[in-house]
Amino acid sequence: MAIGIAVCFLALAGWFLFGPASASFPRTESAVIAASDITIDPVRTVQTDQPVVKIAGFEMHCMNCHGLFESRPETARRLTQHQHIVLDHGLNDRCFNCHDNEQRDMLALRGSKKIPYKQVARLCAKCHGPTYRDWQQGMHGKALLRWDPDDPGRRPLRCSECHDPHAPAFDPLRPLPGPNTLRMGDPKDKQHGGEVDLKDPLRKWQLEIDNRHLPAEPGPSEGIDEGTAASAAEAIR
Amino acid sequence: MTHAGSADSDLSGVTRRSFLGTAAAVTGVAAVVTALKPLLEADFDPGDLGSVEQFLQKHYKEMTPLEMEEALARIRRQVRERFDIEPNLRDARSLVGVEFVYALNLSRCIGCRRCVHACVAENNQSRNPEIQYIRVLEIPKGTIDIERSDHHYDHETVPDPDHFYMPVQCHQCADPPCVKVCPVEATWQEDDGITVVDYDWCIGCRYCQAACPYWARRFNFAEPEIPKDQINPDMAYLSNRPRPKGVMEKCTYCLHRTREGRMPACLEVCPVGARKFGDVLDPDSEVTQILRKKRIYVLKEEASTLPRFFYYFDERRPQIREGDAATEGAAS
Repeated sequence: MAIGIAVCFLALAGWFLFGPASASFPRTESAVIAASDITIDPVRTVQTDQPVVKIAGFEMHCMNCHGLFESRPETARRLTQHQHIVLDHGLNDRCFNCHDNEQRDMLALRGSKKIPYKQVARLCAKCHGPTYRDWQQGMHGKALLRWDPDDPGRRPLRCSECHDPHAPAFDPLRPLPGPNTLRMGDPKDKQHGGEVDLKDPLRKWQLEIDNRHLPAEPGPSEGIDEGTAASAAEAIR
Repeated sequence: MTHAGSADSDLSGVTRRSFLGTAAAVTGVAAVVTALKPLLEADFDPGDLGSVEQFLQKHYKEMTPLEMEEALARIRRQVRERFDIEPNLRDARSLVGVEFVYALNLSRCIGCRRCVHACVAENNQSRNPEIQYIRVLEIPKGTIDIERSDHHYDHETVPDPDHFYMPVQCHQCADPPCVKVCPVEATWQEDDGITVVDYDWCIGCRYCQAACPYWARRFNFAEPEIPKDQINPDMAYLSNRPRPKGVMEKCTYCLHRTREGRMPACLEVCPVGARKFGDVLDPDSEVTQILRKKRIYVLKEEASTLPRFFYYFDERRPQIREGDAATEGAAS
């Protein structure tokens, strides 16, 4: 009898030992991220003083040409040089709104005031006052390296280091890969727009709520609010 | 009973005492064998067991400077063995007279997930299984309804004209529920407002994960996997040193950077300048200006955890090429 019991337990131990493998953690492919995807370099390299333009392989300063050849003051004509520039800046479509007509390596402030390229923010402030104010106080734009505003190592980016002054709107970007949520299967199928798992009472309830609140086809009159997040916050208040 | 027991022994030769004794012994052996079973598994890493020094190590707050130096030396040795690099590991102590606050501009964020992956690279999170501190929610415009958010979006380009984007990470609450529930005090709030985890003290019970209203805490279900060429050697004890299996981790506002005056990694990588960081006790810092002058949204304010992470808005919607036309079409 005692031997029988011992054998039973030993068999059990054997089963623990050599039985089915314990569940191992599922691993799938890792996301591939290139170092260039997460670089902190400013989006654009900007013209500093003196501005340099490459023409036929030669590095030229503005006044090398503009000092020699007089160009006519009207500015709506087609360019014969600088043709790579695409101008998409709304109403601001005249060269000499921003560039100084006489001294081409300077920017044009109000009246006949000239400012160097590195003070480009003062130029932008002519029209974008609130944004300029925000930028000065750190609320717009980006500063690199140090968080303390008094730290000399802090490097606030200037307007033209992110925005192309000739076409300042940002281009849309390709998003980097999303989370690889393991153990939950493909969430798109069940939770997000796909088939809802009706065995789950919570999901069923959610579906009912969604159906009650969301029109099947949002018509034009329904209107997605243009004010976006801002108005959403207003609504919450 | 005694009488019945002796009657049984008369019949079979097995006494109650010997039966129970044998059963207990065999069960004990079986239990020990089962407990040792991981030794036989192919992917078993002896490092899982930890060293004796690690076992005897004191709590972070109770370590003397000498003991801390010993712990750092041990961790450096482990990093050298595992990743073949010499880490710049130190114990970055809390700053005094500084309270770190984060602000994120919801009008600007385009949901490109650069911050998510810059964070992973900076903080040595496991690539596989994947651990990410930042979760970028895509939310339909016109509401801030987390229930209808999706963080698995996969567009060709972002921003999608019908959605806005809300990155969520640890809010470094002033009244953190995750700290309250920890049964072993392995997580606590430091003087500069950052809630940290001592990975050598955490027992992996995951109470804090359940307590956090911002889904900010991550658990190492398996041995973290980081390619050797991707390890960041710039490490601190309380932030991005490699973590073992079975412990919690979380965003620390990159304390190994920020406590030395540098910007967090997620901020520096943001291509649209939506992220702002600084000392809220400094009246000139950008976060103070934002809190004073911008319209602020606190996620799950009703949870009363007093987050140090604020969302804010611009007066005007920023211009994004192409996306504009579609949005205007929908609104008109």
